[in-house]
Amino acid sequence: MMTAIDDQLVLLLEIQDLNAKAREFEVGSDLGEIEESHFGIDPDEAKAALRAKVEELEGRLDDRIRRRYERIAGHRDRVVVPVLNGTCYGCFVQVASARAGEQDPNASLQSCEHCGRFLYFTDR
Amino acid sequence: MRLRELFTAEVVKLDLESDSKDDLLKELVALLDLDEKSEAILFKTLKRRENLGSTGIGKGIAIPHCRSLVVNRLRLAYGRKSSGVDFNAIDGEAVHNFFLIVAPPLEVSNQYLPVLGKIAQFAKDPEVPERLLDLDSPAQFLELLDGKAP
Repeated sequence: MMTAIDDQLVLLLEIQDLNAKAREFEVGSDLGEIEESHFGIDPDEAKAALRAKVEELEGRLDDRIRRRYERIAGHRDRVVVPVLNGTCYGCFVQVASARAGEQDPNASLQSCEHCGRFLYFTDR
Repeated sequence: MRLRELFTAEVVKLDLESDSKDDLLKELVALLDLDEKSEAILFKTLKRRENLGSTGIGKGIAIPHCRSLVVNRLRLAYGRKSSGVDFNAIDGEAVHNFFLIVAPPLEVSNQYLPVLGKIAQFAKDPEVPERLLDLDSPAQFLELLDGKAP
């Protein structure tokens, strides 16, 4: 099955996944402890490597998208949020049904009209 | 929730074909039956996790894992490569058994952490690596989880 996803959305998803991983290595994180104890990962080295990759990917965002990304990241914990059953999982407000019903809603970059976060439509 | 309840026969593959670490990760991801783009994103995320340090925990077992928005619920898969693959495991030995764990960034049920811990615990059972290599069918894998896994 081939589904189209906007290239900038792919970058935003990667950035978000990496940021989430970096947060797992914060002091006191249970997952960070598992990564350290079972897999021998050094939390500081891991955080530094992940942050460096995030910076590299941020540099590949289009200027306009990057400005929006920075604005959202400045006051929201997550920049991209999933849409499940037509609901934005950032603010839990219903997304316009026409957008949610598109065949490939991720083919273009879309934002929540209520909270402004970028949207990733998923039914998987 | 017990591990057995999180696996189905469809996500178990006892005859992985890949001979390299990258190909093997892709083959595992394919078991989740996502679309092509999502598979590519997930592969990159897993690969970046592996770049931090191998998830090969020794005794022929690896647990590739990550969180990603491309899934909307916890997804697991198991694959076996009897001849083994160089996975840069902690003990330097080839890896034969692969447990894939992928969870969304936010999970209502918050199972990712306990599942990761349970699989690591299951893998450390001294009998498990050999029992995994003796499996003849996905159904036997599920039975093994029933009997041995927390």
